[in-house]
Amino acid sequence: MKLTRREFIKSNAVAAAASVAGVTLPTITTAAAAEGDDGIRWDKAACRYCGTGCSVLMGVRDGKVVASQGDPDAPVNKGLQCIKGYFLPKILYGADRLTQPMLRKTNGKYDKNGKFEAVSWDEAFKTMAEKWVAARKAKGAKGVGMFGSGQWTVWEGYAAAKLMKAGFRSNSLDPNARHCMASAVGAFMRAFRIDEPMGCYDDLEHADVFVLWGANMAEMHPILWSRLTDTRLTKKGCEVHVLSTYEHRCFELADNPIIFKPQSDLAIANYIANYIIQTKSYNKDFIGKHVNFNKTTTDIGYGLRPEHPLQKAAKNPNKGKFNKIAFDEFAKLVSEYTVEKASKISGVSKKKLERLAKVYADPKKKVSSYWTMGMNQHTRGVWMNGLVYNIHLLMGKISEPGNSPFSLTGQPSACGTAREVGTFTHRLPADLVVKKDAHCKFAEKVWKLPAGTIPRHNGMSDKAAQSDISGKPMGKTLIHAVAMHRALKDRKMNCFWVMCNNNMQAAANMNEESLPGWRDPANFITVTDPYPTVSAQAADLVLPTSMWIEKEGAYGNAERRTQFWRQQVQGPGESRSDLWQLMEFAKYVKVEDVWPEDLIAKKPEYAGKTLYDVLFENGVVNKFPKQKVTDDRGNEYGNDEMDYFGYYVQKGLFEEYRLFNSVPGIPKKGHEMAEFEVYHKARGLRWPVIDGKETLWRFREGYDPHVEKGSEVQFYGAKDNKANIIFGPYEPAAEMPDKEYNLWLCTGRVLEHWHSGSMTRRVPELYRAVPDAVVFMSKKAAKKRKLRNGSMAKIISRRGEIVCRVDTKGRNKVPDDLVFIPWFDAGRLVNKLTLDATDPLSKETDYKKCAVKIVKA
Amino acid sequence: MSDTDKKHEMNRRQFLGNMLKTACGVGLVGVGLGIYSNRASSMPAHYIRPPGALPEEDFLGACIRCGLCVRDCPYDILFLGEVGDDVATGTPYFVARSGPCEMCEDIPCIVACPTNALDHGLTDIEESRMGLAVVVDQETCIAFHGLRCEVCFNVCPIRGRAISLNMQHNVRSGKHALFIPVVHSDACTGCGLCERACILEEAAIKVFPTDLAKGELGKHYRLGWKEKEKAGGALVTPDVEHKYNLPEGVRYDLQGEGLIIEGKPEETPFSSNPLDSLNSSFMDNK
Amino acid sequence: MNICSLVVHTQPEKGAIVSQRLEKFTGVEVHGGTDVGKLIVTIEDEGEEISPVSDTMNALRDVEGVVSTVLIYHYGGEESMEEMKREVN
Repeated sequence: MKLTRREFIKSNAVAAAASVAGVTLPTITTAAAAEGDDGIRWDKAACRYCGTGCSVLMGVRDGKVVASQGDPDAPVNKGLQCIKGYFLPKILYGADRLTQPMLRKTNGKYDKNGKFEAVSWDEAFKTMAEKWVAARKAKGAKGVGMFGSGQWTVWEGYAAAKLMKAGFRSNSLDPNARHCMASAVGAFMRAFRIDEPMGCYDDLEHADVFVLWGANMAEMHPILWSRLTDTRLTKKGCEVHVLSTYEHRCFELADNPIIFKPQSDLAIANYIANYIIQTKSYNKDFIGKHVNFNKTTTDIGYGLRPEHPLQKAAKNPNKGKFNKIAFDEFAKLVSEYTVEKASKISGVSKKKLERLAKVYADPKKKVSSYWTMGMNQHTRGVWMNGLVYNIHLLMGKISEPGNSPFSLTGQPSACGTAREVGTFTHRLPADLVVKKDAHCKFAEKVWKLPAGTIPRHNGMSDKAAQSDISGKPMGKTLIHAVAMHRALKDRKMNCFWVMCNNNMQAAANMNEESLPGWRDPANFITVTDPYPTVSAQAADLVLPTSMWIEKEGAYGNAERRTQFWRQQVQGPGESRSDLWQLMEFAKYVKVEDVWPEDLIAKKPEYAGKTLYDVLFENGVVNKFPKQKVTDDRGNEYGNDEMDYFGYYVQKGLFEEYRLFNSVPGIPKKGHEMAEFEVYHKARGLRWPVIDGKETLWRFREGYDPHVEKGSEVQFYGAKDNKANIIFGPYEPAAEMPDKEYNLWLCTGRVLEHWHSGSMTRRVPELYRAVPDAVVFMSKKAAKKRKLRNGSMAKIISRRGEIVCRVDTKGRNKVPDDLVFIPWFDAGRLVNKLTLDATDPLSKETDYKKCAVKIVKA
Repeated sequence: MSDTDKKHEMNRRQFLGNMLKTACGVGLVGVGLGIYSNRASSMPAHYIRPPGALPEEDFLGACIRCGLCVRDCPYDILFLGEVGDDVATGTPYFVARSGPCEMCEDIPCIVACPTNALDHGLTDIEESRMGLAVVVDQETCIAFHGLRCEVCFNVCPIRGRAISLNMQHNVRSGKHALFIPVVHSDACTGCGLCERACILEEAAIKVFPTDLAKGELGKHYRLGWKEKEKAGGALVTPDVEHKYNLPEGVRYDLQGEGLIIEGKPEETPFSSNPLDSLNSSFMDNK
Repeated sequence: MNICSLVVHTQPEKGAIVSQRLEKFTGVEVHGGTDVGKLIVTIEDEGEEISPVSDTMNALRDVEGVVSTVLIYHYGGEESMEEMKREVN
């Protein structure tokens, strides 16, 4: 409610009298104190940054966010925030927000080498559609591609999946979560046949022991770290084990600090499994009932181009097959990993390794393991994730309070969007995959599409080749993020749309694999972003977006919590949300442009229609008419997409997605969501939500309603309700330091900046706190190269070089043979140095290991 | 309030005093020493002298206003007092919030000083004491409310020693920790990097001249545990061994947690799930 | 427009009844203090040429139960109510 000027004067008058009389007037003092907050409308939102999923309250006055606070009622953060969260309003108001579509032009026409000029949305989409339709026809399903985001809202990811998979009939859709969570997903699917953690953040209070495997939670999950720290401070006997290749801020709390040589975590994890078996500590009953033993195919290469010598040298490149074995065989396989061997490979003392193994093996200690990029961005990331599950499964320390192997996510909706609604090349909503004909058919039914619309991974439906607009058979259709850049370089893909991320800065090996394809005149690159990022600079068409709370949104955090927010303010200028862009662009493409005749013949009513008509005005998405958006306090909110399209778009998309979890005959259970409206009221709900109740620990009787009575535990992702323990050995890293390139390079983040820094570097205070990326190196290593703290150094890899200042005193203390450089800095692009080696199974890049040399700049 | 405003806040008497000192140089300072000894200079509290600067009065005597330190500072943070400033004309200073000392290892400003006004005996920048950082406002410092900031801790060049984080339970939220920045005068150089980096609109951590910033413990008093640590053992005869009348299963740990009641073994023959007992028939046991 | 505030002293036990009597006057509002006998009162007018506020103030003194009145704060603005309404809307 807005205080009028008269009321304000009156309240001053009253306050003056009250203070003279010494009378306390609660209502008046509030009014006087709140003078500065006069007329502010508060509403909840999920924080824009990491996967923690803090809830925040945003204060809006006169159409502008003027105030913010942590949400004191949010279970995750209880009103707390990190330093980035403190400055959330400022990320909306950077001075250089994009407000108009921009196209490279010369003399009024599109020109790859032209200068950016403002164009209308109509011109932008017309130009783009022409290129897209041509590329789709000429090059087949992989001729066009979209690179999406774990920062998309849930419905944006869902709409993108529909547009690409059903509309363009292309599986060339991958999210930046490929760089982030793909290894975790791979391991979940292999071990449990269903994605996402079984535990939740309550484990942070219930565990006795915390083990960090390649996660710098202190900086990257600041609020979770503050919960972990509190448990360590207040719980008797609680201990913290930190494993990393260098000393970071989590070591301030470590009872057992472990610095291991890069890649040797594989040996350490296998040693722990061996220790558990040798000491007969394993939970015999649990593994008998709930676990299968397996071993995986080895020597699988490094996800590089097939002609790379390392790929050629591999015996089984990219093979992920694993075979069932007996417990004894598994015991024999891990028996090789004695404490001596693990210590030798890792460089960690036997004492420390034993201390770590003991806490896992102690049946009385509840252990929670956390990991993020240290384990995911790893050429054996899927294996490594699995090796930690092995340990927890051997002990039965899983799916119950305090016993949790927990993969943390780096993005606000890596789970909710990237994973849950199917924005990966191989996936469909709700854990369905394009590899399975039945899953595709189910999706086609939900989406009211002719059977065979969605391209199968191998282009075969009902054992027959799927026909394509190109006139050729559909062929193999899967293409992951790293392969997309390679395909652009090879001109196999000609159109690329990057949305809600900054892949030119984020993708590895920029000089050799990213830039050439983007700047090739044969290719047309579109970037949608709020700011002129490195990616936007390298694009041909730049589309301005209404970000975060400039639209109605939903994120899903790392503990399966789905959180909604209403549109709080309007985006600047002609900016439009990603959702609007995805849907509006679909109006520029006709079914005939991208579908072959025989497919249209199956649904003749779709002839002559646009992709928009077919995908979004399908009677489901446009089911909910335009309405006022209000909260229960009577405040009204905008909804630009609803105003434009004429129906409640977000609700329609979410309710259609929910069909994947609720209609009879769903192929996979376990992803149930509550109704749309409920999330606008709740501070997030952890799925599966069944009969209005959230699920805290999955797979455990009593906690998870999907588990049948009397069975204790059911890993119901798999048909036999069992989880897979999968042996994978230690195999060396792709590129290791040698005589010339004699240092390991590890890249990562800092607390003050988020990802590529496109938002946080526009906050002056955060920029002042950490202006530029530095290279963290040891004093000794610096001295050897005639460098010292503050000197300028040139860092050189086989692929490129950058210059930045040396930091020998800062927050990260690295071993003499390793350097660390954060990647947030657009002025010092560390991905010019990195190698595009990936995990051959998850296709996730290993950003933590390559070889560099350093000289004085 | 801007720096310029603060400059003008100083009163005329101090201003004239400085001018006078400047004019009379060493001689007058010699006389004044008795009066001024150990007292704060008349500079504004946020004006900090370069590393190695002698105590203010000595410094004013020794500094010949040559400006070489300013010239040689690679980060251009040093200013020279101008006529009308509240700092002696021609003498160097910096303002931490806008340009702190970057702590060059070779300390070029000292090397440049021709008179030892910046003490040439100082060769390790970490030994310099330009001032002392103080968390002046615990009400606005967001770390005290449990927000994860720690920017001052992170930028501090004397990592972990000049500013440390004191981790405490957050009573309000019940499940988070507070990471409270604490400055240690034995390591803080007063470089001001923390003050510049503080993300608040007005910094909650500020560098002050040491004499303004530091409290002083009563000269008679020692902290017992620190003295014991220094001495490597008790200063007096160590305590005797104590024995107690205690029931069975109870211990007493004098130096540790006091009374310890050893619980009964936690295991019982029963599973916590009653179904286990119900479903396993006693009749099967022969 | 005039807005002023006063402290009106009464006997503590009569606070409630006196405040009821005061609020019968046009433009008078009691904001609290009834339980301690120190009523926090505002008087406002609609901006007439000759302000009724001073008359009201005098009249309050004569209300039964009032011990004394003290003027604390006075605001006299030029703006008319119309202008203010426009500003608000």
